[in-house]
Amino acid sequence: MVVLLQALFSGLALGGIYSLVAVGFNITHSTTRTFNFGQGEFLVAGAFVAVSGLLLIAGKGVTDPLEQADVSMLAYGGGMLAALVIPGILGVLLYLTAVRPFAGRSGLAWVMSTIGFGVLVQNTALAIWGPSPMVMPSPLGGEVIRIGGAGVLPQEFLVLGASIVVMLVLDTVMRRTRIGKAVRAVAENRNAATLMGIDVSAVVIGAFVVSSALAGLAGMLVAPITTASVFMGLTLALKAFSAAIVGGLDNPRGCMLGGFLMGLLEALVGLWHAELREIAIFLLIIVVLVVKPEGLLGRRRVEKV
Amino acid sequence: MAESPMLRVDDLEVRYGVIEALKGISLEVREGEVVTIIGGNGAGKSTLMKAVSGLEPVAAGRIRFGGTDITTLAGHRRVALGIAQSPEGRQVFADQSVRDNLLLGAYHRRASDADIEADIEAQYARFPRLRERRAQMAGTLSGGEQQMLAIGRALMARPRLLLLDEPSLGLAPLIVREIFGVIRSLRAQGVTILLVEQMAHQALGVADRAYVLETGRITLSGTGVELRRDPRVRAAYLGDH
Repeated sequence: MVVLLQALFSGLALGGIYSLVAVGFNITHSTTRTFNFGQGEFLVAGAFVAVSGLLLIAGKGVTDPLEQADVSMLAYGGGMLAALVIPGILGVLLYLTAVRPFAGRSGLAWVMSTIGFGVLVQNTALAIWGPSPMVMPSPLGGEVIRIGGAGVLPQEFLVLGASIVVMLVLDTVMRRTRIGKAVRAVAENRNAATLMGIDVSAVVIGAFVVSSALAGLAGMLVAPITTASVFMGLTLALKAFSAAIVGGLDNPRGCMLGGFLMGLLEALVGLWHAELREIAIFLLIIVVLVVKPEGLLGRRRVEKV
Repeated sequence: MAESPMLRVDDLEVRYGVIEALKGISLEVREGEVVTIIGGNGAGKSTLMKAVSGLEPVAAGRIRFGGTDITTLAGHRRVALGIAQSPEGRQVFADQSVRDNLLLGAYHRRASDADIEADIEAQYARFPRLRERRAQMAGTLSGGEQQMLAIGRALMARPRLLLLDEPSLGLAPLIVREIFGVIRSLRAQGVTILLVEQMAHQALGVADRAYVLETGRITLSGTGVELRRDPRVRAAYLGDH
């Protein structure tokens, strides 16, 4: 029972990470029908930029080891800002160099170009921070909290709380605000959106900024749990992508749901047989794709003439 | 002032790859006029509307609006200048409510909430069905209701020039009558309209002037009355044999 509770908490925390990245996939896919196949490297960028930001705030060199004492809540906020802004800027570069030249054309050039951009980001990170992982202490400390006997890392609460808050904000913005309605208009019909006087290019760039910033945030949040590694991106992004497919790539709430499902499934199956985690996830994907190809909350696409 | 037309199109050419959709079209719309373009399927009517709204790049020729050259101006900026369009096939935002569709129509305006609300009220008054369905998703509306919404949404932009692309497309005769009734009342209010239609009879009936578009070229032009009497128009578009 205690073990189950523990798995539940870490599953939800991990799920929060997947959700953030999955929603990022949704945002660019709905507005451009493309997404960043190198998104994992943006998590890497977020994690390392945050670590270095915290080190700079503590007055140390950007590749020095980071101590628990350097990570106050305030400093963590500063690191978070860096983990949002730098990947956000990378998102603009990604869009301009790797997506815009190919988007809307037939063929899958954008798949290769976004992977290529990711490799560039990863290798740059490798050149700056090297191949060995960097420890990133949680601002809430490393002491395990006992809940009903289950040991929960404080960072897991932070991850879960932060991802839920971010997603609630995103959901509200998309549904209630003028800009959110404009983004949804672009997602549904670009030409009609242009006829409303909406600057579609600006919305699309904004979509890549938000998507990339979400990945950066996810990378920073997950770092204290997994340690920051230049190689952590691919697996995380792949599972987030699976989450988006399972939940429904065209529905932001579906992507959120898919993320939490993935996290929980992974943690619970891992409890039983750790080596079956990945198998379970990809089995789930296959089952969902067969039974409901549009994803759990996705809508069947009607091809427009 | 009065002599320069509101919209002026000169030798406009639009290509889709190797296909020439518009092969050098010239026309004008003056302030307060209702001008219609009639023509069959594939004549290039919608291409022309897209080009005027900036949705289709122009291969050659010029488009001027209120004296400004807008040939290469981005589509969303043309809305701010005063060109609104109710596009072919309605293209309402199916996932958003009727009210939100209307609000999106006013997206570019820097107007106060009260002004926008007043304009939404005006659309509800013009199309009472939209008021009844204001909270409904636009995708659940009937074709006729969607057409009303598309026109209402375009009017929310407070346009100087309203482009209507095939407002009767796929609608029942009764609804078509209603839509043309609205076009008439807009005309009476002095709204400048460029109307593209396959229903030549009705279109010529509301229009001050008309052009006939055939495979990318304008083959005839004149007042609505003149064209209605023209034997070629009667034979090709008005069903006289």
